[in-house]
Amino acid sequence: MALASRTHRASRGLLPDQRAELMLGALVCAVLLFVLLLVVFVFKEAWPSFDHNGFGWFGPGGNPDQQVQEIYTSANLLRRPVYTFHAWPIIWGTLLTTLGAVTLSFVSALFVSVFVVEFAPEAIKRILEPVVRLLASVPSVIFGLLGVLILVPFIGNHVITDGNRRSVAYIVSLSGYSLLAGVLILSLMIAPLMIAVFSDGLRAVPRGWLEGSLGLGINRWRTFWKIGVRTARPALVAGTVLATARALGETVMLAMVTGGVSFAPNPADGLIFFVEPTRPLAATILQTAEELTSEPMRHTIFAMAAVLLFSAAMLSLAGWAAKQPMKRYGVRA
Amino acid sequence: MARRTKAILGGLMLLAVLIAGPASAQAATVFGSGSSAMQPYFEVLAAAYKKVDPSTKLVYTANNGNAGAKDVQDGKSAFAFQTRPPLPSDSGLSYSKLFLDGLCVAVNPGNVLNNLKISQVRDVFLGNVTEWQALGSNLRSPISAFGRNSTAGLYTFFQSAVLGGLTQATNVTQLDKDGEVAVALSRNPAGIGYVGLANSGPGSGVKRLKLEGQPCQASAIKTLKYPLSRYGWIVLPASKPNKAATRFGDWIRTSYAAGKIIAKAGAVPAFNAKHPPKKKAKKK
Repeated sequence: MALASRTHRASRGLLPDQRAELMLGALVCAVLLFVLLLVVFVFKEAWPSFDHNGFGWFGPGGNPDQQVQEIYTSANLLRRPVYTFHAWPIIWGTLLTTLGAVTLSFVSALFVSVFVVEFAPEAIKRILEPVVRLLASVPSVIFGLLGVLILVPFIGNHVITDGNRRSVAYIVSLSGYSLLAGVLILSLMIAPLMIAVFSDGLRAVPRGWLEGSLGLGINRWRTFWKIGVRTARPALVAGTVLATARALGETVMLAMVTGGVSFAPNPADGLIFFVEPTRPLAATILQTAEELTSEPMRHTIFAMAAVLLFSAAMLSLAGWAAKQPMKRYGVRA
Repeated sequence: MARRTKAILGGLMLLAVLIAGPASAQAATVFGSGSSAMQPYFEVLAAAYKKVDPSTKLVYTANNGNAGAKDVQDGKSAFAFQTRPPLPSDSGLSYSKLFLDGLCVAVNPGNVLNNLKISQVRDVFLGNVTEWQALGSNLRSPISAFGRNSTAGLYTFFQSAVLGGLTQATNVTQLDKDGEVAVALSRNPAGIGYVGLANSGPGSGVKRLKLEGQPCQASAIKTLKYPLSRYGWIVLPASKPNKAATRFGDWIRTSYAAGKIIAKAGAVPAFNAKHPPKKKAKKK
């Protein structure tokens, strides 16, 4: 192939298909270059913030909301720029919402997709699949509105008691805008994505493997669990990675329902922990982006963006690494 | 083929005329941004202004007052609406008063509380008082305080007028928009929050409190007796402001028609003409 193309090029210019090949190659290179530039730009903009705070950037210390105000007013009033920023409550909030939602939706999505692929009657299957796909494409702001109007007041008025409120009244307000609201809606948003990928993986399990097991007299449930789900593990990993990435980057909905306070929910508070407010990274970027014109604030915002970008990259890498040992047995996903 | 080419050419020319037409009539779209508490006023005023000057199209993005002022500094917006007086950081901007507005402290309609002192409001939003009982309400539950995040012009105003420059406590739930605070209060029996006049009126599902005995209403705001009375400002670049935006600002500030609309929308006209003589500008 390579030899042939070389002789052609030598004799009479490029053939149309070779031209297309070159164009596509150039396009791919452009995309790669774009990603590279993006990463370089974000990290360059983020550097002053990391430089001033060192590893303390990721640690606890003070109230980030107050720090944000000090950072951007320092530039407004032509004083020396302030960079002090300790993002732990925000990072902790991101971890909690993401892990909570992924765990919750992984379990439910796994059962739903097993049901859809193997056990559901044809009629239900025909309705369920398009509905799930539709659900996966609902814009997040709609979920945010539902959260603000229904779920948040419900949690505030029926889940949280006055006793709960009183126990932490001097530190945070338990108003329903909470970690729990964020996690519940976020799971609703990412579960359809997981279901779609999981079911594709489960459907790709070779029929013969399942039939072999059934032929040995093993019941349907056990067969599907031990062979179907195991074989589809790479698809489970792929779906989880995709869904986690969406959860990590979810912004508008979380900004609307998690309470907007950079507070680190404390597991030592017992069950109240779940209804404490928080604010993840992406929502913090959204709410502080209005101060982008202030230079130290811009660097701080880009530092948060860099952390998000880095987490997303690590996530893909972890997904790839997790799939490696499964590759030999499983179906591809 | 020829016919198709002609059709395409014709279409292109039509498009060019459509695009160039309004521009040559020196009336492009005028972009503004700023306070979300001012947005309800902007909407009714802009709708009425269409009849006054049909060639000007006004577009407003509510991205909070301080951000709007920066947009004007950067030339991204032709004008901004702001809810606080100018600060040293507002270099290169000219602020003009438009009309009077009040920042209301509001609660859920189920709350029997009617009046608060400024010092009590300060205590609530600094986290010193957390029980409704301490404020004299019938509620036996802790207070759920709602406020705005630190980039909002309303917050800056509240911070200087009530909190004495201190940061609001962590136990205040911070929301993104003025209307979101009103929604939260309407659904939370133990809620208290600060909301602009327009978003706390009848039908908003919240109850305004008197402050220092003064109601959050036009009559008390007009005379500046209400403690949280404040002007709504239009922010323009100090040099070479957009003419259409300047005209829009002047119309809001001075015209009789705008005064009526402002009063109807819930704010208080301050400088608008009081005639046509038969009907006085709404005083209420």
